[in-house]
Amino acid sequence: MSGLSRRGLLRGAVYGAGAAVTASALSGCGSLAGSVTSADDIQYWTLFTGPDGVLMKTITGGIEKRVPGLKVRTTVLDWGPPYYTKLAMASAGGRAPDVAIMHLTRLAGYAPGGLLDPWDTDLLAEYGLKQEDLNSTLVKRSLYQGAPYAIPLDTHPFIVFFDRDVLDKADLLTTDGQLMPFESPQHALEMMDKLRRSGGKLGPVLGHVNDAAMGWRMFWTLFSQTGATFDLTGKRAEIDEDTAVEVVRFMADLTRDSRTMDLQTANAAFATGRSPLIFAGEWDMATFKPTLKDRLGGSPFPTFYDRPAGAADSHSLVLPHQDNPDPERRRRTHRFVAELVKSGLTWASAGHIPAYTPAVSSSAYARLSPQSQYAGAAKQLALDPPVWFAGSGSDFQTRMCQALDPAFAGSSSAASAVRTMISQINTLMAQPNPA
Amino acid sequence: MASVSTPARQVAAGSRRPAATDRSRSSGGTGWLFATPFLVFFTLFLIVPLGIGLWMSFTNSSLTGHGDGTFVGLDNYTEALGDSQVWETLGNTVWFTVLSTVPLVVVALVMALLVYTGMPGQWLWRLAFFASHLLPVAVVYQIWSMLYQPDRGMLNGLLQAVGLDGVTWLTDEKVAMWSIALVTLWWTVGFNFLLYLAALQAIPDHLYEAAALDGAGAWRRLWSITLPQLRRTTGLIAVLQVMASLKVFDQIYLLTKGGPNGSTRPILEYIYDTGFTNYRLGYASAVSYVFFAVIIILSIAQLKIFSRGED
Repeated sequence: MSGLSRRGLLRGAVYGAGAAVTASALSGCGSLAGSVTSADDIQYWTLFTGPDGVLMKTITGGIEKRVPGLKVRTTVLDWGPPYYTKLAMASAGGRAPDVAIMHLTRLAGYAPGGLLDPWDTDLLAEYGLKQEDLNSTLVKRSLYQGAPYAIPLDTHPFIVFFDRDVLDKADLLTTDGQLMPFESPQHALEMMDKLRRSGGKLGPVLGHVNDAAMGWRMFWTLFSQTGATFDLTGKRAEIDEDTAVEVVRFMADLTRDSRTMDLQTANAAFATGRSPLIFAGEWDMATFKPTLKDRLGGSPFPTFYDRPAGAADSHSLVLPHQDNPDPERRRRTHRFVAELVKSGLTWASAGHIPAYTPAVSSSAYARLSPQSQYAGAAKQLALDPPVWFAGSGSDFQTRMCQALDPAFAGSSSAASAVRTMISQINTLMAQPNPA
Repeated sequence: MASVSTPARQVAAGSRRPAATDRSRSSGGTGWLFATPFLVFFTLFLIVPLGIGLWMSFTNSSLTGHGDGTFVGLDNYTEALGDSQVWETLGNTVWFTVLSTVPLVVVALVMALLVYTGMPGQWLWRLAFFASHLLPVAVVYQIWSMLYQPDRGMLNGLLQAVGLDGVTWLTDEKVAMWSIALVTLWWTVGFNFLLYLAALQAIPDHLYEAAALDGAGAWRRLWSITLPQLRRTTGLIAVLQVMASLKVFDQIYLLTKGGPNGSTRPILEYIYDTGFTNYRLGYASAVSYVFFAVIIILSIAQLKIFSRGED
C-alpha cells in the first residue's frame, strides 16, 4: 500500500524557494536540513483499488520522480460508506491525512461542518493548474461559501456501452458510428424492440438488483432529463411526483430484460454478447474492452426526454481539516495535486473523463477509444442534489435503490415506488445535519 | 543491594507460603489474579464502551465531532420510539429470528437423532453436517449468491428441470427473508447438531435398557426418555440461537444490503447506517439501547419458559 513512499525515503532535498520563505513558521521540522524524512511524506488517502489503484500508483510514482523532494505515502481504503466514515473520523479527530480523494457529491456533508479546508487556487495556478482549465460544472459544485473545497480529478458519469456490430445491423448508429438520437421515450422503446428482434437477444440491460447505486443513477439520469422539480432545499421534499412516476415506468419498460439482473450478471450478459447495450458506469470500460475489443462502443447517456443529462460524480481532491497545518507541507500538497490533476490523460486510460480540459481536448485523448466517444458526457453532468445525506456511497442512494427495485422487477407499481422514495427522502430531511 | 533484597525476598516467600498450604483461604486472591487480564479487557472494551454509549445516547454526538456532548435528555429515545424505521427493522429482525431459530433447533435435532440412532460412519456425518459452519461468511455469500441467481443459478435450474417456475430469491419482498433464513440454516445448523449429538451421547444407556425391559417401543423411548433428557440442551440451543439471530447482520448485508425495499434490513444495519453512514452517533446509540432492552426482555422471557418445569 505504501510501497511507493519508501523507495526514496532519504533521497530528498530541500523542497524549494517556498520552503525558505515559510521556514520561520516551522518548528524544527528539518526541511532546511536538506533531508526528507518519512514524516515529511504527504499523506494521501485514496479509495482506488484494482486497475484504478494500480494506475494511481503509477501516476503518483511519476510525480515523485518529476518533483524532487516530493514524497507521497498513499493509503488505500476500501471505497464506500466505511471510507467516508474513516475520513470523517480522521478529520474530526485531528489526525487527518494531508490530502484525500472524495466524491464531489459528498462535499455537502463535509465542508459545512469544518471537516475540510479550502484550497489556495493562486498556489495551484503557480504550479500550472488554473481553475479555468477544469470542468466548469464540477468547479461550480466544489464551492462552499465561495471558496473551493475540492479540486476535481475526473468525472465518472453513467453512460451506455454498446456492441457496434449489432447496433449497426439494427440501424441504430449514425454514419460516424454514434448512437442514433431518440425522439421520445416511446420512440426509444420501439427502437429497443427492433434491437431485440434484429439481435434475437436481450434488449438493453442494467445491473440494478440489490445494488446500492445503479437504480438511483438510472432514475436520476432520466428525471434530470425532464427538468422537473426535485427540490430538497426546504423542510420537505418538493418533487414533481407525476413526472417521477412516468420516469420510473419508462425505466422499467426500457430495462425489462434485466429485471432480475445484479451488476455481475448484467455485465456478463453484455460482455458475452447476450445483450447488445448496457447502461453502466464508464469505469466498467475495462471489464468490457477485453472481450468486445473494437466492437465496444460508448456514448453519453442518450437523451430520452427534454434535455441531455446523465447521473455523474467526480473523484475530487480535498484537504481534510487540520488545526495547525504546516504551511510548507500545504504547499507541497498543492504541488502534488496540481501535478496529479494535470496527469489526467494517463488517468483517462482507466475510462474516467479527466476534469482537466486540456487533457480531454488533446489529440492523444481523441485516439482513446471508446473514451473519446463518450467524453461528451462531461457536458451533461447530473450530480446528486447538494444535501448532506446524498452522494456516492450514501445511505440515501441505497434507500432510493431499494425503493425502486420492486418497480424494476414489476412486483410493485411505479407510483408506490415513488411514494416510498419521497417518504424516505422526507425522513432523511427531518434529521439534523450531523456535520 | 543484597541487604535490601533479602528481607524483600523473605516477605515475598512469607506471603506466598499460605497460598501454597491453605488453598481455601487464599483462593479468592489467586482467582482474581488469574482473572485480571480478562477483567482488564472486559472493562476496557466492553464496560467502558457500554457506559460511553449510554452517555452518548443522551447527547447529540456526531461522528464528525460536532454537537459533541450536548445533552439532549431523552430526545433521542423519543425520536427512536416514533421512528418507523426502527420498528420496521426491528420487525424484520424478529421475523428473521423466528424464521431461523425454529428450523435451526428442529433440523439440528432431527439430524442428530438420525446420526445417533445407528447410522454407519458417524464421523462422516459429523464432518458433513459441521463443515459448512467452518466457512467464513464471505464464502457463504459467494456460494449462495450464485445458487440464488435467478437466470443462471442452480436452484432455479433445478426448479425449471422439474417444470416449475423460477423464483427471484433475493429480489422478491415476500421471498427474500426466507432465502436469507435458508442460507443461515445451511451455514450454522452444524453447531447445534454437534451440541445435540453430545447431549444424546450423555444420556445413560440404562434408561433405555430399563424402558426396553418394560416393553417401550422406539417412539415411546423418544418421547419419554430422549426428548425430556434433551430439555436442558434444547433450552441452551434455543437461547443461544435467538441471541445469534437477533444479532444478524453480515449475511443480509452481503446478500441483499437490506433490500428489496428494506424488507430484509435488520435493526443492526439501521444502527450501522445511522451511526456510521449518516454520522448520527447519539441517535444510533439510543436505538442500540432500545434494541438492547428488547434483547434482555426476550432473553428473560425465554429463560423463564425453559426453566419452568425443571424445578
